Amino acid sequence: MAREYLSTSEEDRSEDFKEENLSNCDVLLAICKILRDGVEISPAITVTEASSLYRWAANPLSAVGVFDEREYVLGEAALIAAKGSRVLGKLSDAEHWLDRSDAAFRHTVNPAPSLAGVAFERLALRYAAGRYEETLELLPSLKSSFKRLGMDIENAKTQFLEAMALRFVGREEEHFSLLRDLERAPEVRACPSLHGQVLVHIGVHETAVGEFETAARTYEQALPIVMKGNRPVALCELKWAIGDAYRAQGSLRRAIESYRGAKNDYQQLGFRAFVTQISLTIAETLLALGRDREAEWEILSALPVIEEEKMVPEGFAAVALLRESVRCRKTDPNALRELREHLQAKS
Amino acid sequence: METGDPVVRVDEDPYEKEVRAIFHDTLGLIHIALVTHYELEEGEAMELEKDLSFWFLRFCMRPGNSSPRQSRPFLLVACCQFAREYQKYVIGAGVRGSDDRLKKLLDREPADVARDFSRSLDLLDFRNHDA
Repeated sequence: MAREYLSTSEEDRSEDFKEENLSNCDVLLAICKILRDGVEISPAITVTEASSLYRWAANPLSAVGVFDEREYVLGEAALIAAKGSRVLGKLSDAEHWLDRSDAAFRHTVNPAPSLAGVAFERLALRYAAGRYEETLELLPSLKSSFKRLGMDIENAKTQFLEAMALRFVGREEEHFSLLRDLERAPEVRACPSLHGQVLVHIGVHETAVGEFETAARTYEQALPIVMKGNRPVALCELKWAIGDAYRAQGSLRRAIESYRGAKNDYQQLGFRAFVTQISLTIAETLLALGRDREAEWEILSALPVIEEEKMVPEGFAAVALLRESVRCRKTDPNALRELREHLQAKS
Repeated sequence: METGDPVVRVDEDPYEKEVRAIFHDTLGLIHIALVTHYELEEGEAMELEKDLSFWFLRFCMRPGNSSPRQSRPFLLVACCQFAREYQKYVIGAGVRGSDDRLKKLLDREPADVARDFSRSLDLLDFRNHDA
């Protein structure tokens, strides 16, 4: 029933159809689960559906389960909307949704696990905003909560977030050591989506330190696990990482092939920011191959999105320089690199 | 009338089975709380127990909730919370009167009342291990 509800378009959902489905708490919770599982596959749709669910549950005339189940559904719907907003890059919206989730979960029986889930999402938001030191400062308390509550996989995800934040503050050895420990953890190996991500980033580190053969083996190991994890974003990350590895070894044509695979996948998922970033990476690689015209096309496809989505501060010099250089049919590789690095540092 | 078709029995999920078993073990205590302490009528208590059983099954499925056995105290909290809200509503609507004992109970936080009942749960567990 939950899948049938979600596959029916909003316009085709009559009031009776909504009432029949949403007043059944089992169906309602099943809808929440499907939305939660699909947040990275179709974040925009997830946010829309979760918002709609929240509004419905917030209406005092709606019948929502028994006891604390109205508050639980409100908390869940808001948390799902927050995750989706974060994935879409709408960080301010995500924060508002987390406040709503917090306010609702506080009134449920045994709120600790749900509130810990909200706390994790707040940290993920800080990480997404580039506030890495803050993220690292607040992580130990959350890990301790998850440990106490017996939430092993959530604890592992928190440690993965920690590993990524360590990389961005330049603590590479700790970053790699933590990834290695995570890769061996039984709870991580039992979760292909997380296991795959951990392996991809181990491979990224191995590439960065010049261990190309080891990285290639790691990526080979990662591929079937990432496919099993059913997280399309992880597959995009893997293809991108493989592209970087080829590029670092000087196999530029293979790198472009891999980058284009990732770009295609990101396009299908609607992740415009990543499509833009990877377009610039492809452009740099094409320039290195002397394929200047193709590089220009990639840049020309990226620049409008950068402006529309306000991906750089207004008046960012590299954008203007790049646009001008492309116009003159003599792409400025320094401006291109500067822009690409700026966007990657933000992501 | 026999149709010749075998009846297909769907085995209950083992986790759901465990949840229902825990609920059933706790039902006696729940009933005492509702009828003897919160002074609900038998019919009202039975309706509430049905709701509680559905709620408890869904509660145990929430992420982060530990084993059904360890979730029993929360079952009692929910039981006391609902009983309190229900009685306050009924008394407030003038359908039923209340005595001093019930008033004092309704003034107490459901979590505190449930904690007292949990001590009886520990005794139940102890007796079950002993048997």
